[in-house]
Amino acid sequence: MEPLKYIGKRIPEIYAWAKVTGEAPFTDDLRLPGLLFGKILRSPHAHARIRSINTSRALELPGVVTVMTGTDTPGIKYVAQISDMYPLAIDKVRYVGDPVAAVAAETEEIAEEALALIEVDYEPLPAVFDPCEALLDGAPLIHEDRINNLVLNMKRDFGNVDEGFAQSDRVFEDQFSTQAVPHCNMEPRSSAAWKNPDGVLQIWTGTQSPYFVRKEVAHVCNLPISSVQVMEVHCGGGFGSRSKYCEDEGVTALLAIRSGRPVRITFTREEEMTTTRIRHPFILRIKTGVKLDGTLMAREMQVIVDKGAYCHYGPAVTGYAAGTAASSYRIPHFRFNGDIVYTNKQAGGPFRGFGAPQAIFAIESQLDEIAEVLGIDPLELRVKNANRSGDLTPCGWAITTCGLEECLEKVSQAINWKERQKGPKEGRYRQGKGLATAIHVSGSNVFPDGEFSAIELKMFIDGRVSVYKGSGDTGTWANTVITQIVAEELQLPMESIRLISMDTETTPQSLGSFASRVAFEDGNAAKMAAAQLKTFLLESAAAALQVSMDALFLQDGMIVYREDPSKTLSYGDSVFRSPRTVGHILTSAYHYVPPTVRLTPKGYANVSAAYAFSAQGAEVVVDTQTGEIQVKRLVVAQDVGKALNPIAVEGQIEGALAQGMGYALTEELIVDRTTGKVITDCLDRIMLPTAMDIPDESIFLVETQDPEGPYGAKGVGEIGLNPTAAAIANAIYDAVGFRPHKLPIKAEEVYFFLHPEKR
Amino acid sequence: MLGSMEVDSQRQVDSSRQVDSSRQVDSSRQVDSSRQVDSSRQVDSSRQRATVTLRVNGRERRLLLPARTTLLEALRENLGLTGTKEGCGKGECGACTVLLDGRPVNSCLMLVSQAENHEILTIEGLSSQENLDPLQDAFIAHGAVQCGYCIPGTLMTAKALLLINPHPSREQIQEAIAGNLCRCTGYEKIIEAIQSVASR
Repeated sequence: MEPLKYIGKRIPEIYAWAKVTGEAPFTDDLRLPGLLFGKILRSPHAHARIRSINTSRALELPGVVTVMTGTDTPGIKYVAQISDMYPLAIDKVRYVGDPVAAVAAETEEIAEEALALIEVDYEPLPAVFDPCEALLDGAPLIHEDRINNLVLNMKRDFGNVDEGFAQSDRVFEDQFSTQAVPHCNMEPRSSAAWKNPDGVLQIWTGTQSPYFVRKEVAHVCNLPISSVQVMEVHCGGGFGSRSKYCEDEGVTALLAIRSGRPVRITFTREEEMTTTRIRHPFILRIKTGVKLDGTLMAREMQVIVDKGAYCHYGPAVTGYAAGTAASSYRIPHFRFNGDIVYTNKQAGGPFRGFGAPQAIFAIESQLDEIAEVLGIDPLELRVKNANRSGDLTPCGWAITTCGLEECLEKVSQAINWKERQKGPKEGRYRQGKGLATAIHVSGSNVFPDGEFSAIELKMFIDGRVSVYKGSGDTGTWANTVITQIVAEELQLPMESIRLISMDTETTPQSLGSFASRVAFEDGNAAKMAAAQLKTFLLESAAAALQVSMDALFLQDGMIVYREDPSKTLSYGDSVFRSPRTVGHILTSAYHYVPPTVRLTPKGYANVSAAYAFSAQGAEVVVDTQTGEIQVKRLVVAQDVGKALNPIAVEGQIEGALAQGMGYALTEELIVDRTTGKVITDCLDRIMLPTAMDIPDESIFLVETQDPEGPYGAKGVGEIGLNPTAAAIANAIYDAVGFRPHKLPIKAEEVYFFLHPEKR
Repeated sequence: MLGSMEVDSQRQVDSSRQVDSSRQVDSSRQVDSSRQVDSSRQVDSSRQRATVTLRVNGRERRLLLPARTTLLEALRENLGLTGTKEGCGKGECGACTVLLDGRPVNSCLMLVSQAENHEILTIEGLSSQENLDPLQDAFIAHGAVQCGYCIPGTLMTAKALLLINPHPSREQIQEAIAGNLCRCTGYEKIIEAIQSVASR
């Protein structure tokens, strides 16, 4: 086999030049002729009935082109797992920030002034912010059709959990809770739309999943899908927040239709932080049965998911937390009970990890407790119960390749785990080390839209190729990696390949960029489409050169005869001569469907074709006088299958570590329990890690060569964040004996633990 | 020759409305924290336009602008220099960083009049026609760029650092860019990229 020329190489991002020069256009950078500025009026109440809305004063303001309320729209709720949200509220508002009306005006300032002139008569209703209180009889009902504010109850039951507990020597029960976190993409949401002269509604929006946006925008505007076109534009970070539709996209489209002009809505940072879908807070009760030798026998997890005001993709997130809890380590029996509960707060949604970081924080913290009680080394306990290649987890995840043992080995060596100081420590500054692991999908077959990726390639008579890819690239280098795959298959320099993504008019449909699926699924589609194009080229060249196809090979744009390398044909000539060529374009396309099974209502299915694994080690120093926690070092060993581009993979992991560290220690969306208003509504208050907070990091890429992944690759986008908080929590326990049961882990809690008399 | 007046249709509409009393900001309106910039604009004089001369990327540009216009707005909306990004509008994220006489400033916090008589350098002026700045090359080569939204601001801060301290330590780099938030990269490759230029 020829050595790989583009795959596995540290190739720079294809957009890097445009980004370092400031030329890469994001939505707010677009200059559409006659552009109007849209603004959304939002509810100041956490829960209220809308008695009436008077827009006449706003409409009279010169420069205002249109004002729109919920009753001016088709009044269609978007298709989430439970459809419960209009683009603009009708009858009721359910959180502070709920969109109530929208304005399009000649300038941003006029639009803002117009908002202040819209008179909304609210009848405030009692609100509920705590999911446990929301479940009680008599709690205010947020959606009238949901008794006790229960969005739904999710049950999973695999094996025989009661028997598993009965066979256990010890049963451990613990409770943990995790917080809400906004994604904090550096680019605030922005979408622009207009109805073009052909009557097509074109929309620019930095999204992970253009086809979700097209479907939902068409739906809420009551248009046929084919009359909505999502356009290509750069996207300033996703992390799940743009993995599905968000209502500003619908509002922008509706304003554009109503005004007959291009309209753009760009969120303020406050809107970005207080109205977009966030990471769901979980309350987790976890019960685990073990043998004295540390063998895990059974696990039961009960969670209460704080859904916020609207369902969005809460059930999918909860189901994935269940899948993670069933599949983290070998465990024969598993039961899950999840209550997904409405509260009068900002709604949750997909966020890197998709429910896994919450579950893993509970699992990994408890695992350390178990190790301590049983007197087993936490590393040995993990190795003993680690998943292995060929495992079938209780919820049906079929693990083809698993490098978890090797990952644990590498991490423990790198942090000198075996030589660590055990037992109580002394001095003001105490060091501690902690471990945690994660399992994660590479694409997940859970959506009714199906699980697939499609790529189309067009080669022109100049020998260059265009790649048409339906999913977005939010900065993950996905488009770079797809270009590398095409370059490898076609032996064509990266510069000869142009990639067009997102455009729903020209690209074949793809599910989108989420669930760590793009490199894996779009990658397979690209690889197979390119392999087919290669065959077409060889076929045409073989006829032209009158040799057999087998005697030819591809080399940098030339098809070369192996026996006599002077006998060549350029790709362009081959395209020109091919009987398959239409209009001087040779086309190849592939629709990839991974060998997976759609998730059943009972939650049992092999939802992914490959599972990635990660082990992480954290080293912290705790100041016993202040409780301050400093992460000194993070070590990651990750089973990536095959690193298609090591810089890209490292970048994903390093970014995930920073987010995981923020999740562990600082980031929290805090809501005022009397008003429902978000207190941490700006970047200064949410406290993202800065460059000064980044610890020493070591990353080891473990390549297990997955049989289904392109060149052996697995998904890498999310897993890096999943175990980080747990590893840090375990390191804190190791340092000072404080067991965090709650995220984020605050210095004051550590302080009061160490100085109970000061509480 | 002065730069073009850069008057777009939006500005024309705006100017036609200068005498419109209804545009006075309603003082009874609830001004929340996100509109802090707005509250400073309630001064009547802010409605008046003034001619401002800016030196941006070595070129003199004359603009007729409301006095309250921020440097960021002038760059993006009037001069079409959209490489400078707005991430928060409050000086918290650093995405809008430009150099004023070689020093990094948050252009969202600065009124355009305050930038007069200063040399302004934006991301568009960082590279010459043919060559990227070594920092830009290093950001590409080290994979320091993911979504890229924070990158122009971070590059400008890094440039300012190297102007005053050509060989900073890793800690000095971390400290210098601590005001440039990035949610994608975890900073590691950004720090490495700057270090690679600093160690030359």
